[in-house]
Amino acid sequence: MVSQKVTVTNPTGIHARPASNLAKVAGPFKSQVILVVGEKRVQAKSVLNLMAAAIKTGTELVVECDGEDEEAALKAVVEAIESGLGE
Amino acid sequence: MEQIYVEKTASRGIAVAPVYLYLEPDLTPDGEKIPDTEVQAELEKFAAAKNTVINELKQLAEKNEIFAAHLEIADDFMLQDSVENKVKGELKNIQLAVSETIDEFAVIFDSMDDAYMKERAADVKDIGKRFMAALKGVKLPDLGGITEPSVVVARDMYPSDTVKIDTAFVKGILTEEGGVTSHVSIIAKSMGIPTLVGVKGILSKVQDGETVCMDAGAGCVVVQPDAENVRIYQEKKEAYEAERARLESLRGTPAVTKDGKRIYLCANVGNVQDIKNALPMNIDGVGLFRSEFLYMQNTHFPTEEEQYTVYKEAAELIPSELTIRTLDIGGDKELSYYEFEKEENPFLGWRAIRISLDMKDMFKAQLRAILRASAFGHVRIMFPMIISLDELRDAKALVEECKQELRAEGVAFDEEIEMGMMIETPASVILAEEFAREADFFSIGTNDLTQYILAVDRGNKKIAKKYDYFNPAVVKAIGRVIEAGHKEGIKVGMCGEMAGDQKAVELLLDLGLDEFSMSAGSVDYVREQILNRK
Repeated sequence: MVSQKVTVTNPTGIHARPASNLAKVAGPFKSQVILVVGEKRVQAKSVLNLMAAAIKTGTELVVECDGEDEEAALKAVVEAIESGLGE
Repeated sequence: MEQIYVEKTASRGIAVAPVYLYLEPDLTPDGEKIPDTEVQAELEKFAAAKNTVINELKQLAEKNEIFAAHLEIADDFMLQDSVENKVKGELKNIQLAVSETIDEFAVIFDSMDDAYMKERAADVKDIGKRFMAALKGVKLPDLGGITEPSVVVARDMYPSDTVKIDTAFVKGILTEEGGVTSHVSIIAKSMGIPTLVGVKGILSKVQDGETVCMDAGAGCVVVQPDAENVRIYQEKKEAYEAERARLESLRGTPAVTKDGKRIYLCANVGNVQDIKNALPMNIDGVGLFRSEFLYMQNTHFPTEEEQYTVYKEAAELIPSELTIRTLDIGGDKELSYYEFEKEENPFLGWRAIRISLDMKDMFKAQLRAILRASAFGHVRIMFPMIISLDELRDAKALVEECKQELRAEGVAFDEEIEMGMMIETPASVILAEEFAREADFFSIGTNDLTQYILAVDRGNKKIAKKYDYFNPAVVKAIGRVIEAGHKEGIKVGMCGEMAGDQKAVELLLDLGLDEFSMSAGSVDYVREQILNRK
């Protein structure tokens, strides 16, 4: 398993449209992709789970990837969050 | 015969037509547990249902992007996971598993402190209904199948319902639940369908195919009408339609008074949709864009970028004139994400321009967004609640500062952008001549002006009668302001309720008002008054 810390920077947080974009980035990877936000563990491949988690801008979270393509998945997801999730 | 009254109108108009009862089939899930051996069979049923739902949504998504979002949710693996767990782990039958999963997600969104996310609960329920109908092998009622004039009676209506409405056949809408700001109200208004929402008891009082009469403007529904009722409502309907036709036929005529003065008829709006709704009235511009709604319906102070997107779209929609009033909060308008100190007299307190000038960074984000949008139309900046020349100068200096920044960044904006002010405080009336030398335009906000000049709280029912913009003190103030503005050669408009009041039109024309800005619904009526003025 690999993991990395990242801060959510896009203004509305991981809201509807950004959640959909993030799920699309994480979706194709075989690895499990989890966002650890405090006590919560959020499935990054699920729009529903992401939206329900209501992650606000400025939140610091840890991306955890586990599986055969975990390195690539981690890189892609961290980059997507850092670049503002299309906002 | 029975009459039902509703307080608020969702969309005006009159209809007399048979009821199309738009009720869902029973989608209650089967409650039984399943034996171990059935797990696989239940999961196969789910796979088949999901297939059906996704195909339906794919077709809908081609016409309306709302369904692209639905498609993502229906295909979400957490949804699938949760359903599978309930079947495999708890041996629930597939209908129960789906229904519980949908409820769980809907509850999460419903409980969120954010209007946008609350609406997602409706999306999830909408998808849930599709799954249940597919699992039960029943058809959901289809508004697209209505082929003769009808009044649709429903519990509530969702986006997937309203998208199928054909205005040739849906002549009226009555819903048991919902409010005037709900989805169905907004859609019905934009389609011009007479609609009343929150009509308690309507579902149990009508039968499919039975004639119903409604006057949405008056908030009245007649169920099981007698012949006399039908005749009266038919007449009302004809009179209403004739009036509408007469008013609409005037839309092409510019509002020029008989003595030859061109009057500008503008709309007051709170968002881009309001502008779209006002455009058919052939307005001369937007006299008041209430930017506070961008702040109020939000989870954070909107960023420059978020505001720019909205202002730009607005400026492109109405290139003739878009007057953006800078943030006007405080008083009775609060923000969910910012704690205002409790004040003894909020209307005399920290509000509007006073907040903006204290929170300079926030204010500059708004000014920069407005300036950037000014490259796409004729945008004007308007400052609210000004009481001193210093305030006006400080606000203008900030605009200048933003202009310099944008120039340095090489970002386009209108160098000549007009900067005007609301006249809504007694101080601004008394100093009107001085202000007229430094402001590019005036807009009289009669709602606050009346309350401040008369010292009458406009929310206090006990003194409601005293709140009167025809009070000579208010009328004289308006006259003074117009005179002062004209002496310096600037345009004077009005964006308070009074500007949309047919009884005030003649008086305001006599006083020399140049621009009337009002809610879109009043524009046609005021235009007629202006054209007919003796």
